[in-house]
Amino acid sequence: MERTLRVLNDLERAGVVSRYAIGGAMAATFYVEPVLTFDLDVFIVLPGTSGALLTLSPLYEALRAQGYREEKECVNIEGVPVQFLPAYNALVEEALAEAREVIYEATPTRVLRAEHLLAIALQTDRAKDRERVRLLREQASLDSDYLATLLVRHGLAL
Amino acid sequence: MARLLTAKEDRRRMLAGLPFPDKVRAVVRLQRMVAPVLRARGREVRVWNIEESA
Repeated sequence: MERTLRVLNDLERAGVVSRYAIGGAMAATFYVEPVLTFDLDVFIVLPGTSGALLTLSPLYEALRAQGYREEKECVNIEGVPVQFLPAYNALVEEALAEAREVIYEATPTRVLRAEHLLAIALQTDRAKDRERVRLLREQASLDSDYLATLLVRHGLAL
Repeated sequence: MARLLTAKEDRRRMLAGLPFPDKVRAVVRLQRMVAPVLRARGREVRVWNIEESA
């Protein structure tokens, strides 16, 4: 996965995305026991998109130029199907802004904070999100004050 | 039974404490185990083809 993350870092350096962070099941896996997933969810902020219609076309074109092809809703980057998710509401925008800087092997990357992962799961509220909430509460070291404030700010409750 | 459940919980906490790259490798192993079952059910899944260091 390290090569995948290097490609994501290159996209950010080149300004194709303004910022990215790992979310979804792989982000949850950073904090809890390994969770089965078949894609890498990557939240992104696209450049110059404040109030504008979002399009992933420039991102997909940049990846195609490097030989990475779309496979249904993902792009296979160095053997990992990556699903790009533009920040779609205030909670996700905040989660991206506050994402943790971590080092994977020797490559820097970002992972959403556990508290934001929990809040996003509460907001999305599918069966697997409720399971993610349970796992995060059981196994992740959550900052309870930070989480409480975050939930109130976004109108959520445990 | 209580001892078994405690041991199970202890193992899950141990897994939660692994370094992130080790967890990613564990996810790929899970993918390999589950993929045949999902494909038999008609679901298209792709096991990650990533470098595996020790």
